[in-house]
Amino acid sequence: MRVRVDRENCVGHGRCYSLAPDVYSDDERGHCVVGPEPLPRNLEAQARLGADNCPESAISLDDTRPPPPGADGPRG
Amino acid sequence: MQDERRDPKTARVNLFDPKIASDPQPFYADLRARCPVARSAYKDSPVVSRYEDVAWGLRQPEIFSSAMEKEMALGTERPMIPQQIDPPAQTRYRRLLDPHFSRRKMEALAPAIRRQANALIDRFEARGECEFDSEFAVPLPCGAFLSLLGLPLADLPAFLEIKDDIIRPQKRKGVPMLPIPEAAAIRAEGGRRIYAYFERLIDERSAQPRDDLTSSLVHAEIDGEKLERSEILDICFLLLIAGLDTVTATLGCSVAWLARHPEERHRLVDDPRQIPAAVEELLRWETPVTMVPRIAKQDVTLHGCEIKQGEMVTFLLGAANTDGEHFRDPDRVDFARERNLHLAFGAGPHRCLGSHLARMELRVALEEWHRRIPSYEIRAGETPVYSLAIREVMYLPLVWSPHR
Repeated sequence: MRVRVDRENCVGHGRCYSLAPDVYSDDERGHCVVGPEPLPRNLEAQARLGADNCPESAISLDDTRPPPPGADGPRG
Repeated sequence: MQDERRDPKTARVNLFDPKIASDPQPFYADLRARCPVARSAYKDSPVVSRYEDVAWGLRQPEIFSSAMEKEMALGTERPMIPQQIDPPAQTRYRRLLDPHFSRRKMEALAPAIRRQANALIDRFEARGECEFDSEFAVPLPCGAFLSLLGLPLADLPAFLEIKDDIIRPQKRKGVPMLPIPEAAAIRAEGGRRIYAYFERLIDERSAQPRDDLTSSLVHAEIDGEKLERSEILDICFLLLIAGLDTVTATLGCSVAWLARHPEERHRLVDDPRQIPAAVEELLRWETPVTMVPRIAKQDVTLHGCEIKQGEMVTFLLGAANTDGEHFRDPDRVDFARERNLHLAFGAGPHRCLGSHLARMELRVALEEWHRRIPSYEIRAGETPVYSLAIREVMYLPLVWSPHR
């Protein structure tokens, strides 16, 4: 899985690094910085949690495999 | 309201109906379903209520401007920075200010807030009762604000008075509503006192810098130039106006809800790690800052309704946050919600500058409160009183058993 953050859209809500601190961190302004690359498999769920909770939809996941069974749908 | 269903374009709503303050969610649901762009009875201005539209509008500063200091008439002589400034000027101010309000910086204040919360609880815990608003929800955020700016706690009463003069001028006269000119006069006087206070503070910190936000602002530069004195004043004015009432209101709304829902409350007492999620979910459900205004810079048609250039548009954050088109099971308060994209702190470039401060204060306050007073209820026969627009629970009498 690859994680990308659109720095244009990130406004520093900080949900990603609060909920998934092993994948996301914050720069000086509190905007999102994506962590380890390549992303270890065991952090994929965290990556998804952070992306799902970005109010600006600034995080995109490039995942060639289907989401695990029981994963949450598009609604909150 | 039934008759208006046929033509949503003519529907008029009264956002300042006292019933809405204490129980807003049914009103929001009706509005979203019936007229997603309603007209406010106040100034006949458009009211936007669906999640998708609110989130969209807040991200279009070139269409919906924040430059509205005249319309808001909060006693300011110039726009508050950065709230009443549009990008790109706003972006430069945010670049300067965001680092001072980052989650990391705010977490560093947590021990001080924790001490202040405990000092407040010390005063009334043994009594077995308190009026939550005046004894906890009001003083705590003010203490946080003073810590942030490096001001003495002894200044708290003066700040509370000025803040009330500006946000609720009617309180000074002890009446529910004031005629606009009278309110404006009290606000203007409050504004003058704020400017005078911060003028003095800027002088002091220019002469003798300390490790506080005011000193940082005095020495800060944007593109190699120091801030004008007026810019520092306009930032301090905003911090005072935006930083106190909002957290007070959120504390009140959250604790009033938890007082009425002992099962959920016990879950937080048993497992305080759930408190951050509870803070988010109560921000969503209660949305204490119910609305944010903008000025339309061009004509816009939304759901077949025309918004005219120059009109003040109200984006109803509370209605967006309970929209079933966006949130699964929106009327259920669920601390385990996996995905919570609430707009309680707004969205887009004006995302609440103090959101990380607010979250830290709310978390620490709920942690300490429930550690010390795990079981409490609203005093029998009493009804909490909510204020309009910013839903401060102005009267919240709580009781508990002091010997546990």
